[in-house]
Amino acid sequence: MGLFDKLAGWLGLKKKEVHVLCLGLDNSGKTTIINKLKPANAQTQDIVPTIGFSIEKFKTSSLSFTVFDMSGQGRYRNLWEHYYKEGQAIIFVIDSSDKLRMVVAKEELETLLNHADIKHRRMPVLFFANKMDLRDSLSSVKVSQLLSLEHIKDKPWHICASDGLTGEGLQEGVDWLQDQITQSNPNNEDLRR
Amino acid sequence: MSSSSDSSSREGESRSKWLDAHYDPVAGLNTLSSCIALADLHGDGDFKMVVGDMGHGPYNMKLKVYKGTARMSENALLDLPTGVAAFLMDQNEPRTPAIAVASGPFIYVYKNLRPYFKFTLPAMEVNALEKEVWDQAKEDKIDPVTLKEMLESIRDKAEIPLSVRSLRFLMLELQEMEAFVNTYKQQPLKRQTVITCMGTLKKNMADEDAVCCLVIGTESGELFILDPEAFTILTRVSLSSVPTLLDVTGQYDIEYRITVACRNGNVYILRRDSKRPKYCIELSAQVVGLVRVQKNIMIGTSHETLHGYSQKGKRLWTVTLPASIMTMSLLEQKSRGIQAVLVGLKNMEVHLYRDKNLLSVINTPDIVTGLCFGRYGREDDTLIMTTQGGGLLIKILKRTAQFEDKDTAPGPPTGQSIKLNVPKKTKLYVDQTLRERENAVAMHRVFQMDLYRLRLSAARAYVKALDASLAPVSSTMQEPLTLNAAVQGIGPQFKLILNLQNTSVNRPSMQLLISFLYDEKLYKIKPAFFKVPLLVPGLNYPIETFVECCSDKGISDIIKVFVLREGKSTPLLTAHINMPVSEGLAAA
Repeated sequence: MGLFDKLAGWLGLKKKEVHVLCLGLDNSGKTTIINKLKPANAQTQDIVPTIGFSIEKFKTSSLSFTVFDMSGQGRYRNLWEHYYKEGQAIIFVIDSSDKLRMVVAKEELETLLNHADIKHRRMPVLFFANKMDLRDSLSSVKVSQLLSLEHIKDKPWHICASDGLTGEGLQEGVDWLQDQITQSNPNNEDLRR
Repeated sequence: MSSSSDSSSREGESRSKWLDAHYDPVAGLNTLSSCIALADLHGDGDFKMVVGDMGHGPYNMKLKVYKGTARMSENALLDLPTGVAAFLMDQNEPRTPAIAVASGPFIYVYKNLRPYFKFTLPAMEVNALEKEVWDQAKEDKIDPVTLKEMLESIRDKAEIPLSVRSLRFLMLELQEMEAFVNTYKQQPLKRQTVITCMGTLKKNMADEDAVCCLVIGTESGELFILDPEAFTILTRVSLSSVPTLLDVTGQYDIEYRITVACRNGNVYILRRDSKRPKYCIELSAQVVGLVRVQKNIMIGTSHETLHGYSQKGKRLWTVTLPASIMTMSLLEQKSRGIQAVLVGLKNMEVHLYRDKNLLSVINTPDIVTGLCFGRYGREDDTLIMTTQGGGLLIKILKRTAQFEDKDTAPGPPTGQSIKLNVPKKTKLYVDQTLRERENAVAMHRVFQMDLYRLRLSAARAYVKALDASLAPVSSTMQEPLTLNAAVQGIGPQFKLILNLQNTSVNRPSMQLLISFLYDEKLYKIKPAFFKVPLLVPGLNYPIETFVECCSDKGISDIIKVFVLREGKSTPLLTAHINMPVSEGLAAA
């Protein structure tokens, strides 16, 4: 990092870069949420099932996010673990209308949190209980119960109900994530270590 | 003690493979494996479950559709469903499958969950006598009691069985007969059979979303293959018994095989263009489950056994199960190409077998009567189980689940059952065996004589060597010595090291000499004669000398080393040194 960059960082001119992993089962709405968080002119209309993963970028008031939007399909889920090292925070999206696969989401979450690259790091995890607009969707409290989130003791986590189509609830989640990241690194250090 | 720990480890094992997605003990589903189908009914990638519910007794029969954990819709059925299948009828977009429900003599076809078409099995020939009797009843020529007597006599003698109407009539009480005759006598008499089982057969493509024909088996012992669009009968095959279970593979226009289990305890294998069954498997018990795994057929019988047969009807193996079989179904994990068979047992377990190996055991809270594995909702490997008490159980196979190929059931190790590739007996081998059998005594004597001769000559050679002290270990008690020699170098100059040791306990050896015997044309040894110093017992005395090879022809010879006592000409011991070929050039 050059002297100028450092200076710009101190003065708040240059935003810090944060790498975030966006995970969750297929059809839970990961790509839709990331798309909604991007500036209005960069949003796409058609959301198709992600193959492998895609890298998206968006900015908030103090941070610049680089999101690894991973594919949630069963055959691509084994790719997730290769990106755990690079991630500084996790966004985990849940389809709260899919009661049948809540166990699958729980299983994937457990595997994720017990992975060697994640287990001993204090990285914030943001849960989106997505698809709140659907009639038969579960509340965010019910989702956190079903996923037994109360057992996560060593990582800051937050769950918020969201609707990826209208963008409802997304800002709340991203604000929390931004707070967490800036709190854990108050000295404006380079987060990439 | 051990069995309890064993069962708990089993439970743990099944828990590590299956996720409990849903359990509703009071779902009110009374159904069998043949009446459960999974299909993407709306073409949105969300697979629904279609269940033909047999209700309770003769009422409340319904076609229920489940989405996720909830029931989405239900349609009333008029008669007991005997089979439910989802199949694509046509090439139209969107490619949503139709549902066929076999019930009585009809197949009801639903599209978009709405009744679309009803197929009726062709009527069968009516007994002429029976028809005449009913005609008389129609004209009121005979009263119901006479009608009953005449029908009974026809039933006992006739070759063509009575129609359903006559049979029902014969069951009635006297006071009900009049009304029954009056209600039905005006309608023409028909004899119809009912459908016992149903399957689907791809028409001309092997794709997942290819158009399928329906294959149905009837109570009259026939198999029909129906065209998916026009519902005309494409093929009709007569069997010697009533089919109860079907398995279909292949494509109608190319080649197909239909495996049919019949009520007489036989399993028939039919092929395209064969009017009669190609192969027949005769079993000693009733068939209660029939599943095809790759090219083999798994048959479960009422004798608590599971058999594996090749597609030509040859038995490969048999497994005895701990309880009677309730139902069987195929487990196919497409992402890994794993195929195995699920067996629902009466002891509230579901066993998973790959060939004869027990891969996993699932414990269920009730007896499982219906099993179906496939894509449900958005999850590929979902296992749906319905129980005797009307419960619905949904489990999902974990993404990380691994099935070990090894047999988890107790028994002999797998190595025992591997057949060795034993070559065939040749004529030579047979002749030799015969000869050995006939001349055993003579052969034994010849062998014994040769053996004694060999021992004798060995003993003679040994005595001679001892007499002449030719061995590198001295034999006399007075001078126990050993000698070993080593040659170093690649030539033409060699270094010869002789290690001489006195092996006696406390007697030193004195006045010993070492001399060499060699071909003087080949080798020069300098010095070729030593005086050996006093040999202290136990110590090793290396004695070195140099040998030069004078020949450049690449030949080698033996050098003999003698250890002598002063004043005696017979050596104490002798060593033979095999000289290596000189690699280097001769001194020139």
